[in-house]
Amino acid sequence: MASIPMEYGLLLAGVLFALGFIGVLVRRNIIFILMSLEIMLNAAGLAFIVAGARWMQPDGQVMYLFILSMAAAEVSVGLALVLRLYHEFDTLDTDAASQMRG
Amino acid sequence: MTASDLAALSPLITIALMVLAVMLAIAFYRHHLVTFILTLAGITLAFLMLPVAAAQAPRQVTALLILDRYALFYMGLLLIASFVVALLSYGYLDRHEGAREEFYLLLLLATLGGAALVASSHFAAVFLGLETLSVALYVLIAYPRTRARSIEAGIKYLILAAASAAFMLFGMALVYAETGTMEFARLAGVLAGGGARQGLLLTGQAMIFIGVGFKLAVAPFHVWAPDVYEGAPAPVTAFIATLSKGAMFALLLRYFTGLGDQAYQSFFLVVAVIAIASMFVGNLLALVQTNVKRLLACSSIAHLGYLLVAFLAGGSLGSTAAAFYLAAYFVTILGAFGVIAALSRRERDADSLDDYRGLFWRRPGLASVFSAALLSLSGIPLTAGFMGKLYVLIAGVRSALWLMVVALAVNTVIGFYYYLRIAFNMFRDVPAEEVSLTAPSLSLAGSVALVALTLSLVWVGVYPSPLIHTIQSAVAGVVP
Repeated sequence: MASIPMEYGLLLAGVLFALGFIGVLVRRNIIFILMSLEIMLNAAGLAFIVAGARWMQPDGQVMYLFILSMAAAEVSVGLALVLRLYHEFDTLDTDAASQMRG
Repeated sequence: MTASDLAALSPLITIALMVLAVMLAIAFYRHHLVTFILTLAGITLAFLMLPVAAAQAPRQVTALLILDRYALFYMGLLLIASFVVALLSYGYLDRHEGAREEFYLLLLLATLGGAALVASSHFAAVFLGLETLSVALYVLIAYPRTRARSIEAGIKYLILAAASAAFMLFGMALVYAETGTMEFARLAGVLAGGGARQGLLLTGQAMIFIGVGFKLAVAPFHVWAPDVYEGAPAPVTAFIATLSKGAMFALLLRYFTGLGDQAYQSFFLVVAVIAIASMFVGNLLALVQTNVKRLLACSSIAHLGYLLVAFLAGGSLGSTAAAFYLAAYFVTILGAFGVIAALSRRERDADSLDDYRGLFWRRPGLASVFSAALLSLSGIPLTAGFMGKLYVLIAGVRSALWLMVVALAVNTVIGFYYYLRIAFNMFRDVPAEEVSLTAPSLSLAGSVALVALTLSLVWVGVYPSPLIHTIQSAVAGVVP
């Protein structure tokens, strides 16, 4: 583990983060947007683990556990909202749920 | 953890216990009034715990939280705001169909998140406080389950807040990777020592600032604000405008002033651009709005720009000005949204400009409160908003931020136009048959809150020195 330089790990996390962010921006289906958000959060978690490994501290992994549990809470609320969205608009397309303008 | 640690944490512990108490109360006996009173009692109890905690201040409890006078002052401010929001919600929810009780549970939970945020001294505490606040807010925004706009607003807020939280986390990870610590105090030491690579560090700090900027809704991260303000129920909008932004700003101030001059200098230009952009974008967008909630959203973007001027001014004067401005803004905006909540019906909120036409002739009391709030927002003398703006201007002039001061003055003038447009609208004559909104009767809790808000709005505007003294002693410990 120590033989892998920290920069590689951060680079991987950065690429994952960018992919997730692009997904949030271009996807129109709410389920895919939530998945992309998960990828972003997990990329941040990976960066924490890499950083923790560099300093030989458990803090990075502790942060990852926090992120994991908060992401679960976020997604459960998100899915509840998705159900309401589907009831209200009969679609999972986020463009349909964009009535407010101005 | 010793007894004095527990005493220092007692406000936070009280709110957390009250969340559980309210949840159990709902499980056993579902009653709106009982839940409401329990919530008010809980917030009051937490507020009464502040002196207990102040006796221990300043105290670092574990690496995560620091309970100093600064944190306790902002906690008090958040608790008062949350109390007022609860008062305003009662009448609003009484007209609401479906379950009402969980609203208060979520309100307490979000308050807990905000209170943890202002006391945090570690990235982990920032994250936990922020998410407790955000996740409770997602549900609060989408609380009226049958309103399509509320669901739309909830989903928009969820996506953007989660994305901004991810940005913030990634930034924290980068800072941690470079410095090896997540505590604010030790971070400042590492930064002062040098040796950390600037590239990663700056990227990290910038990503953290993106996360903060989203929560504060400053330009260019403001796009969510008008939609969420419009879609959320009026009391929740008041909550977002005050607690969520206030807690974040308090954290921003603590974090960046704690980092020392070097970090401060590297961000000065960026924050200056953001401040000026927020003022102009917010005010120019507000000029074209016909929806009162959207208009207040745009005005809040501009107000956060004014606040950033105080942040840039820095030092003890800047921090005092920022805290004073926030307190004045809390009082004002709670009054404005209180009137909107009081006028709202079951089907929709009273957010169209037409709803306010001739309001003075129908509901003189509400119209007076709303006028006072609008005058305070625009910064007319004898109101809290005027004193706040004056204080920020003085702080800006002392630090020779001339460009910012000029931008602030120009924007105040632009603001007059749209605030006074609503105010004049309320005094216009309307034929009786054209009245679009048969306003519901005002609840007792709501009227008490509105009267108290108006009185304190004038009081702070006329006689601000007690508040200023409180703030000065609170800020003294944090800012050199």
